[in-house]
Amino acid sequence: MTTSPSATQPGAGARAGEPLIEIEHLVKYFAVREVQGLTMVRNTVKAVDDITFSIADGETLGLVGESGCGKSTVSRCITRLETPTSGAIRYRGRDIANLPEKQLRPLRREIQMIFQDPYSSLNPRQTVGAILSTPLRVHGLAKGKEKARAQELLELVGLNPEHINRYPSEFSGGQRQRIGIARALAVEPKVIIADEPVSALDVSVQAQVMNLLSGLRAELGLSFIFIAHDLGVIRHFCDRVAVMYLGKIVEIGDKPHIYGAPQHPYTQALLSAAPDINVVRGAPPKERIRLVGDPPSPIDPPSGCRFRTRCWKAQDICASQEPPLEDKPGGGDDHRIACHFPEIKSTLVAAVPG
Amino acid sequence: MSAQPIQPEPADRPAILPMDAPAPAPKPVVPIVAPIGEVVLQVTDLAVRFPSDEGPVNAVQDLSYEARLGRTLAIVGESGSGKSVSSMAVLGLHNAKRSTITGSILLDGHEIVGAEESLLRKLRSNTAAMIFQDPLSALHPFYKVGSQIAEAYLAHNSVSKQVARKRAVEMLDLVGIPTPERRARQFPHEFSGGMRQRAMIALGLVNNPKLLIADEPTTALDVTVQAQILDLVKNLQQEFGSAVILITHDLGVVAEVADDILVMYAGRAVEKGLAKDVLARPQHPYTYALLQSLPSASEDSDRLLTIKGSPPSLVNLPSGCSFHPRCAVRDRVPGDACARTLPELRTSAPGRQIRCHLANPEQVLTEEHFA
Repeated sequence: MTTSPSATQPGAGARAGEPLIEIEHLVKYFAVREVQGLTMVRNTVKAVDDITFSIADGETLGLVGESGCGKSTVSRCITRLETPTSGAIRYRGRDIANLPEKQLRPLRREIQMIFQDPYSSLNPRQTVGAILSTPLRVHGLAKGKEKARAQELLELVGLNPEHINRYPSEFSGGQRQRIGIARALAVEPKVIIADEPVSALDVSVQAQVMNLLSGLRAELGLSFIFIAHDLGVIRHFCDRVAVMYLGKIVEIGDKPHIYGAPQHPYTQALLSAAPDINVVRGAPPKERIRLVGDPPSPIDPPSGCRFRTRCWKAQDICASQEPPLEDKPGGGDDHRIACHFPEIKSTLVAAVPG
Repeated sequence: MSAQPIQPEPADRPAILPMDAPAPAPKPVVPIVAPIGEVVLQVTDLAVRFPSDEGPVNAVQDLSYEARLGRTLAIVGESGSGKSVSSMAVLGLHNAKRSTITGSILLDGHEIVGAEESLLRKLRSNTAAMIFQDPLSALHPFYKVGSQIAEAYLAHNSVSKQVARKRAVEMLDLVGIPTPERRARQFPHEFSGGMRQRAMIALGLVNNPKLLIADEPTTALDVTVQAQILDLVKNLQQEFGSAVILITHDLGVVAEVADDILVMYAGRAVEKGLAKDVLARPQHPYTYALLQSLPSASEDSDRLLTIKGSPPSLVNLPSGCSFHPRCAVRDRVPGDACARTLPELRTSAPGRQIRCHLANPEQVLTEEHFA
């Protein structure tokens, strides 16, 4: 981009390595009512249950896990689209977990979100110009020059600025996702939370959007929380990876540790189960771990370690004691695992022939 | 192409058994006696068109392929490439009033194009069955899972209801559903996503069809469950010896299970061959670019190769080769052939066909890669 954003330079003034967002003991429960026979029962879905992690300035954290593991709920809590049940969310040292809406407004400018479905996340009755200038108006940015700024944003995400009067229906899926990205960038955020931003796109378009996001990250110095279920996409885009299972983080660490020397059995099973194109390129077949069954319900999670019902290493202690997320022997720096029987396995992704 | 032996499974599979659900040993259910490699499905010059307000939609054009017993053919393409439309035509699922189908589909010796509904009814489920992407909408929500499977069995076999019900329980057991007796009496909403897909597979296989068409069977599932379902389909295929057509957009899945591959773009086949050859050394620029644009879980990548633009509208396809506006190597073809003439699907190597004007595609693609 030739024209840099006007008001504040994103990323400026922050010291590298200092935590930008700190999540401490975050808990989010949802009350649900279910019909059982002829009665209505009240239940609690423990979507996110006591998780702690942090993101440094300029860092990209990948959140990976199966559906229902709470990864989207975490992101919705950080953007405060949901109010956490308990725990702290500190943004630049300030706890935003329970801030009232009025004080939250200025912060919403700094933390923006990109959604999964580019069809339902854009208002079909607004033109692209209106979609992009609404956040500017709300935050009082680029006053009087909204249109010029909206066109600048379209250019930034690789769309034709002349298409500002078109409606979302006139764009393809990949182009709509670019509009969603432009809308998030309109207010010059510091952090972008991307919830499965490429999973609704065709393969040939997915790479375009991934490259666009990488380019913007480098150019604007953005931090990302990147949610995906595709382990290849996470590996491509993220610096650190947190693996979630049933509302808990089971393993978190730098990308080389998670992919190269994972210690938690669930991480290992995920890596082993992901279909990999490299097996046909002559890479030796990877070790096969097949989990049986589906993840249990977050309404009534297993006692102790939540993964124990599908784990092949489970013993009595796993049912009675919940393993803490902690450093383990052989793990890398800042590599934490929640398991009673951690063990390094490095044969789970196909070795790539030279 | 010649029939290749089915790839053996890697032997070093660690035994992982859960505490609550031991994987049941599949019971033999009357195997098909036809020899492996026999052609069950022969599609020739298939074209499917739908009318629309903007003009006819050319969903599938001059498509030819075959499916053989004991082998898995993967049909790969993006949305709108015609992969689902072509396989629905195989079961005669298109409304004759709202579509124009030409060409020939020979299913186990029967012509499907223009066939009577009564013949189609006889062939569906019995000779060829289909499993769908979303098992929740494919199973009937008001009927118990067991009765839906039993009904499909009763429709083609003159047996008592008791026998059919027993058969349904047997099938649920076969696809690895624990406590099948109890599960047969439950409704689809009481099943988890993976279990529903297993039930769909049981429903598909209940009449021991020679051809099973799986349309994105694992797209809605989580990775660990996807791996289970792919293993199940592979194992059942070895046991039943049926032909499987796997429709998917996920090349990783193809790499894991397919013997043969057919890559489609904008309604036409662009590359055909053995899956391991095509994926290891793609010859069509589209296949090549697709493979290059995939981020892999097993290696770090800097920048992904992209295919510019997006798939064309099927109402007015580009002139010449449908892929030429997005092709990175079209200037390597002399003249402007790519924009003017549609390349024929030609044999480029033994067992390999591509639809491309490039005379030496592999060399051009390698040069481009290192350029």
